[in-house]
Amino acid sequence: MSGKAIEIRGLTKTYGKHRGVEDISLFVEQGDIFGFLGPNGAGKSTTIRSMLGLLRFKRGEIRLLGRDSCREQKEILERTGYMPSEAAFYPDMRAGEVIGLAAKARGKDCGEEAERLCGLLEVDRTKRIRDLSLGNRKKVSIVCALQHCPELLILDEPTSGLDPLMQEVFFRLLLESNVRGTTIFLSSHVLSEVKRYCRNAAIIRQGTIVRTDTVENLSKTNLRLVKLKERGQEQEFRYTGSMKELIGQLAGREIEDLLIQEPTLDELFMHYYEDGEG
Amino acid sequence: MVLLRHELKRNRKVMLIWALSVGVLCGGCLLLFPSLEQSMAGMAEAYADMGAFSTALGMDKISVCTMEGFYATEIGLMFALGGAMFAAMTGASMVSKEEEGHTAEFLNTLPLGRGYIIGWKYGATVILILLFQGLCLLLIGLGFAGASQYPPMEGLLRYHGAQVLMQLEVGSLCFLMSVLSGRRQVGGALGFAMLLYLADLLARVLPKLEFLRYVTPFYFSNAADIFTSGETDAVKLFLSLGITAASAVSAAAVYHGRDLR
Repeated sequence: MSGKAIEIRGLTKTYGKHRGVEDISLFVEQGDIFGFLGPNGAGKSTTIRSMLGLLRFKRGEIRLLGRDSCREQKEILERTGYMPSEAAFYPDMRAGEVIGLAAKARGKDCGEEAERLCGLLEVDRTKRIRDLSLGNRKKVSIVCALQHCPELLILDEPTSGLDPLMQEVFFRLLLESNVRGTTIFLSSHVLSEVKRYCRNAAIIRQGTIVRTDTVENLSKTNLRLVKLKERGQEQEFRYTGSMKELIGQLAGREIEDLLIQEPTLDELFMHYYEDGEG
Repeated sequence: MVLLRHELKRNRKVMLIWALSVGVLCGGCLLLFPSLEQSMAGMAEAYADMGAFSTALGMDKISVCTMEGFYATEIGLMFALGGAMFAAMTGASMVSKEEEGHTAEFLNTLPLGRGYIIGWKYGATVILILLFQGLCLLLIGLGFAGASQYPPMEGLLRYHGAQVLMQLEVGSLCFLMSVLSGRRQVGGALGFAMLLYLADLLARVLPKLEFLRYVTPFYFSNAADIFTSGETDAVKLFLSLGITAASAVSAAAVYHGRDLR
């Protein structure tokens, strides 16, 4: 088996005349926690849904856990846990029944792990899905995704709707799984989550991957935020280029105060989102 | 089997409501037959002589004042319409309810496979139709027992066998509709069932529209025809089986190749 948990080569998916994703290539090492960042409509969900076999794509190849996503979908899903951005289940069923159904479909006895997860996440298994809030449906979704101890976890904006305390519990569970060897693919637009938990990340914008690197390297850039005060007026701009040139441009101006700083991760991603530059 | 159990559990309430409604209606009417028998005897000739109306309902072939005729013309009509509507509704919502309720994502990311999902969903449609038939037959049997009169058993079994095929054809066509549209088209499916019944009436009274006999499954499963001729048209029967099988195979092929919302 290859050392990569996720291999996407040249993935192209269109919806009629509309763009989905174009020529995406992405590789995630086994055991990694990989962030997948992008604004709404960038193609994050299209990529994930193609990986899981929900969408049929035109061109490209996806291999998860060393298996072809088109031909060996069932085998992949047996070893994968998925948490969608919108946790939708059968409204008439009780939370426990949904969790049980997911376990039965896997042909596994996940009772013990499900019990533990429900306890940690405070899931009321007797409540019907229709009576649960978005956050509580998310918790059911977490149990369904984790109860069979998957080798690969694909999470699409997992924390939306979860309160901060539950987010902490959730990430603790993720790190726990990661220590056991689970590869985690985390699609998010919450940058702090990616910065805090992911080792590597890719940025997607308008259906194409803008950059893939370690989170540390993504934070390192020659992009600088320049704040200056000139004749009592404050100015602020982003600058990408050599420092020598910048100093040359500023020389001779009546600058009272000058601050040149590295952008925060949030600002950096905004730069990618807006300009699409690597 | 996980999915079959899940579907039967989810649909049992609707199936019971429909089966009890249709079954009690049919069985209840059968209980009334002894009290109507005498008064209907005088009207039988008039019923048989109402031109196109009699032809459409088969009353020109069989007398309504016998239990056999009463069952074939009155009960058979209610049962055929009720059964077709139930089959249409069940088939039409079986797959599309997942996409409409946003549960398709949950279901299709379980390690089942699309072939398994579509196969067992179709299986659940067939089993629900058979359970509906069985329950209705039980209530109809109670109606016969209460009225202490029975039609010929062979004709009755032949009729209900044809009804199963008719409902399977309607259910399968609506199942395909469900896969194609991705939206629950219950209204459209009920309308489709009624349209097929209308096609049967037209095929019987308008010579120009005789070709509709091969289109609508209501034609070969008509109670009056089955009770009077004692046989079922093999060509139309095989045609129905072919349409049923083609619908199921097409549904599977479409489901396998399409994007899921």
